[in-house]
Amino acid sequence: MRALGEKQELLYVIRTMDVLMSSGVGLEAAIHTIGRGGYGIISEDFSQIMKRLQKGTGGGLDKELKTMMKKAESAGYKRLLNTLYTNVTQNTDLVETLKKQGTRMEEERSEAVEKYIEELGGVPETLLSIGMIGPIILSIVGLVPQLMSGDLGAFMSLPDSSVINSVVNMGLIVTLIGMALVGLKAHTKDPGL
Amino acid sequence: MIFGILESFNESPLLLYLGVISIACIGGGIPPMIERRRRRSIENELPTFLEALSDSVGAGRGLQEAMMEQSESNDGLLASLLGETLKEAHASSFEASLSAFAAKTRSSQVQRVMMLIETAMQQDSSLREILSDLSRDYERLNDLMNQRETELSGRGMLIIIFVSVGLPVLIAFIVGLFAPASKGFQITSFNQTFSLFFAAASAVAVGVSGRMMGRLKDTLWWLPMWMTVSMGLYLGAVKAVGG
Repeated sequence: MRALGEKQELLYVIRTMDVLMSSGVGLEAAIHTIGRGGYGIISEDFSQIMKRLQKGTGGGLDKELKTMMKKAESAGYKRLLNTLYTNVTQNTDLVETLKKQGTRMEEERSEAVEKYIEELGGVPETLLSIGMIGPIILSIVGLVPQLMSGDLGAFMSLPDSSVINSVVNMGLIVTLIGMALVGLKAHTKDPGL
Repeated sequence: MIFGILESFNESPLLLYLGVISIACIGGGIPPMIERRRRRSIENELPTFLEALSDSVGAGRGLQEAMMEQSESNDGLLASLLGETLKEAHASSFEASLSAFAAKTRSSQVQRVMMLIETAMQQDSSLREILSDLSRDYERLNDLMNQRETELSGRGMLIIIFVSVGLPVLIAFIVGLFAPASKGFQITSFNQTFSLFFAAASAVAVGVSGRMMGRLKDTLWWLPMWMTVSMGLYLGAVKAVGG
């Protein structure tokens, strides 16, 4: 969930930092602005950084950024924090790097959405295969004790109807779990628009 | 007739409870749909609007003047909301009007843009470039959102229709034809098991479909209705075919 939240907000954070820093605002002030809210999980992270810096409990902005890099889950957010860290320690051209990162993030987002749509193309087929074939077979299995009762049932040496019912119930539960697992792909691969 | 139909499902109280819950939930499901349609129409207008603002600001107009002009010359919800807000703002500052406008749209995209414009104004940044960049950014974002919507909504609906409608009716026909209750087959417990399965399978199908389109919370309102539909169709079709 954290990675998804980071992905959703990252591009907006980069754009805002770009605008702020192009206008001459310093890095700490930009982090403070983002930390005031509006950018989800990234606002929370930046607000924590600023609180610790103001209290004096953090070991400086560079160390705070380094700590946050360990907490970050998405590659893009880690990259942004690393860029900020490099700027603090080596005085790099942050505005230029932010512009490049923004463009790259946007390209990555477009690719991720196209990939998501492509990958989900197979979900309906797989889900319907599991969700339809399973119950059709199980319904016939469940009807067998009714259809083959009496002499025919004895001749075929069918298992007890309670055993068949248990098999059907278990089969239906497994089908449901299978459907849910196939559908889980829609959640885990979400590009976070 | 309605009571007759309801009484035929007396053996499945869950279906009747779900029916009542689904009627209540439909009331909760319609407003998010209307709101979403309204929000997306505003968001789809945003890039063109920002581009026009960028051109006006580039031509030497002030932002407030440019916004007023654009709100008067454009049709659509975004322009009318902006015009309305700017006209109402007699005694408040321009920044306050922008915040009020952003809140009225109830769109996170517009709110982010207005926040960025306010920051840019406070920092004396070049509005023309910022507005033009924002226009490009949001055009791409909206294109992606629209692409996702158009390509995945059909697939989502396909899953729901097959799992909640097609499958229960198909199995009900198999059961009704091969083991009709009218000929003495004992299928009450079988029907209960399968009707519960169809309700659960419909819930999974609706959840997956909603997640595919990125609006799971809004779709959850329709979950009881689809569960009721699948259970009702199965039990109804078994009775209709098998007696």
